[in-house]
Amino acid sequence: MTIRLTINDQLVEAEPGQSVLEAARASGIIIPTLCHHRDLSPVGSCRLCVVEVEGAPGEIAACTLAAQNGMVVRTETPALGQFRKTILEMLLSSYDDDGNSNVVRAKTEFMHWANQYGAKRLARSAAVARFPVAADPNPFIRVDMNKCILCTRCVRACAEVQGRFVWGVSQRGCESEIAAGAGTMMLEARCESCGLCAAVCPTGALEDKLSLGAGQPDRLVTTTCAYCGVGCQLDLNVKVGRIIRVTSNPQAPVNGNHLCVKGRYGYDFVHPANRP
Amino acid sequence: MQSHSNWSPSDPGSALLAERYGNDSEAVVEALRLIRTRQGGLTSAAIKSVAAALKLPASRVYGVATLNCMLGVAATTSSDKTARVCDGPACWLKGAAQACTALEARLGAGWRVERSSCLGLCDQAPAALLEERPVGGLPTCPEHVEATLPITVETVYELPRPVEVRVMLARAGRVDPDSLDSALDHRAYVALEFALTAPREGVLAEVEAAGLQGRGGAGFPTGHKWWMVEQAPQHPKYVVCNADESEPLVFKDRVLIDSDPHQLLEGMALAGYAIGANEGYIYIRGEYGPQATRLERAIAQAEACGCLGDHIFDTNFSFHIHVHRGAGAYICGEETALLESLEGRRGEPRLRPPYPTTHGYHGLPTLINNVETFSAVPAIIDHGAGWWRGLSSAATPGTKLYTLLGHVNRPGLFEAPFGLTLRQIIDDFGGGMRPGATFRFALTGGAAGTLVPPGLLHVPIDYASAAQGVSLGAGAFLVCDQTISPVSVLRELLHFFELESCGQCTPCRIGTHQARQILDRLAAGQGRACDVDELSRLADTLQRGSLCGLGRSAAIPMQSALRHFRPDFEAAVHDDQADH
Repeated sequence: MTIRLTINDQLVEAEPGQSVLEAARASGIIIPTLCHHRDLSPVGSCRLCVVEVEGAPGEIAACTLAAQNGMVVRTETPALGQFRKTILEMLLSSYDDDGNSNVVRAKTEFMHWANQYGAKRLARSAAVARFPVAADPNPFIRVDMNKCILCTRCVRACAEVQGRFVWGVSQRGCESEIAAGAGTMMLEARCESCGLCAAVCPTGALEDKLSLGAGQPDRLVTTTCAYCGVGCQLDLNVKVGRIIRVTSNPQAPVNGNHLCVKGRYGYDFVHPANRP
Repeated sequence: MQSHSNWSPSDPGSALLAERYGNDSEAVVEALRLIRTRQGGLTSAAIKSVAAALKLPASRVYGVATLNCMLGVAATTSSDKTARVCDGPACWLKGAAQACTALEARLGAGWRVERSSCLGLCDQAPAALLEERPVGGLPTCPEHVEATLPITVETVYELPRPVEVRVMLARAGRVDPDSLDSALDHRAYVALEFALTAPREGVLAEVEAAGLQGRGGAGFPTGHKWWMVEQAPQHPKYVVCNADESEPLVFKDRVLIDSDPHQLLEGMALAGYAIGANEGYIYIRGEYGPQATRLERAIAQAEACGCLGDHIFDTNFSFHIHVHRGAGAYICGEETALLESLEGRRGEPRLRPPYPTTHGYHGLPTLINNVETFSAVPAIIDHGAGWWRGLSSAATPGTKLYTLLGHVNRPGLFEAPFGLTLRQIIDDFGGGMRPGATFRFALTGGAAGTLVPPGLLHVPIDYASAAQGVSLGAGAFLVCDQTISPVSVLRELLHFFELESCGQCTPCRIGTHQARQILDRLAAGQGRACDVDELSRLADTLQRGSLCGLGRSAAIPMQSALRHFRPDFEAAVHDDQADH
């Protein structure tokens, strides 16, 4: 049975079990999110996707709100804009990217929303680096937890998709942090370096080491991974005739966003120095 | 690359744990506590060993170990013992900071002295836990320390105050809490035996008719909650007692357990019978070690005599109660966080709906009530709903336990009907303000309560009076005189919320931290021009945007303090800082 609801004066249809956020996205209405990811279970923790629902008090997170018949939802009001700006400024107050001059992504999801809602870093509450930059010796994934906003996408991606349970939340309150295993290095915590955590990270706290400083690609070439018989699809990020990065393609029929260490990071054989 | 598995069956630590806990992933806190006791601290290696034994990812065990402050993750093992000095508001008023310094000097080497959120020993402030042993009335100057340590605390509330009405405390001081025979001589388990002779619907109807409301602070109708769990289609069902009493200024559950543990057990068994559950869990805060032991002893005694366990009183009804110790986290008193913790995960609140009444422990229908709520049930079944309603002329029937602290002549704990005014509480029960003390304000309800000015001393207090600015909450009252500033009290409260936030959602994780920073400045008289407005905005964001009740209720004292005492906050702004 199809559910009918109104979002921003637009009549929207949803399947039973869909959230307001999913229903909105399916109809092209964009609600900002950080902790939400389409492949991962919703947790409703960042509070950026809050919306107003007629007849319900206060703001409600759209990612965990089940769509119901006759619901009247507003996703952009002045009050919501102010609320989101406050949330983003709170996150910025504990975000420090000083140790990151050679980023992989020109603009992260987090910075995109911060700019959109005019959230600024207040000079007097500027964050201080709490963690060593790039201290984890994982050969493919660079870790800078000073940029972490605790959206827990990496934790859920590793547990729900990859099934390795490397990442977890530790400590509590404003001391909370994402840690590998029992506070160890990633490989010691049984990491397979599939890179999914870096792929879903909205801030660049986790990044692809091989692509640091490589700049932005000219074009994407969708191809099939040459390693095994599964047939994963991936996007080669090409710059001046060279592969600078491999990203997963959410539309890939076999694997979606999922890739293994070879598919995501094993591309240097294409450009060896001794190849004629 | 390193090997993937760090587990080796020859590791004696994990072999022992695996044998003892049989791969029970819910025993993670117990296993960590065992290792910590043996090694004096939890290292990465110890955590991996627990993870291997319980077949859990190391990240999950590490997450649990670092959320709960009594487990103490450390870089190296250490033979040092831990002393935790209470940092709660009642101890703060009595000079806990000085007591901490004095204690540190007295204990010397071999002890690590830490501060801790309210330990629930407010009536013995300033108080501390030496490992698991509670000590109270700590001296605040070093020269007196030598003479008076150690002090073991035994709370006795034998004698009612002149105007008290005792129901749940009726047996306090009259029964030996460690003797079932003594309890049986005073009508323990009479209500249960009687109830088991009739269909279970009768118990439910009686509790519903009595109009009992949940004593955890929200006042949800108990009978309705029981009915919802009873109606839930899935089986089995569970009864969970929330004894994670961590709200600052509240220690009523500790006194109830210490004075009459069988009353609580009987109430839980009655609830189990009413809703059709055969298993009950008591989630008790880790700081209440002696009380947990007392409950375990009481359960063993009751099971041996057929008052609990299999075929209670030779009927077909069986009910087993298990005691689960927490490990130092206020958030685990939030009912869904409590369930997460009971299942061996980090105590982080779940999304609602669905509610525990249909999807609770193990995803099955679960009844969660407070210690005081369960403790009221035997008397209701024994004497009837009409009698319970007749105890009080206020809108809320029955009696309630109150904790009264601060600058009154007789602080402590008492039981009385609802609808008392703050004036009555201070004068009739507390013996009036202390000599030289003039009432300035009171914090009512607990840390998540309201700051009440003199103008509201006449408001009758029950679960509805929060709308008038006086919340009842868990029944705690901290009375402050003219020497105490509402700014500094609010600073203590936000300090508490900051430390006890689980960190899951943005507003609570960062908002409580920012609010505490602002209040640090204001309490020192160094506030900036925009600080008061900023505080008000943070309160609004916390209240509107937090994921669970902890964050939302952290806003209550902020908003109430700003409503009634804004001039005090504005006076704390230092002009020199205005343009920073």
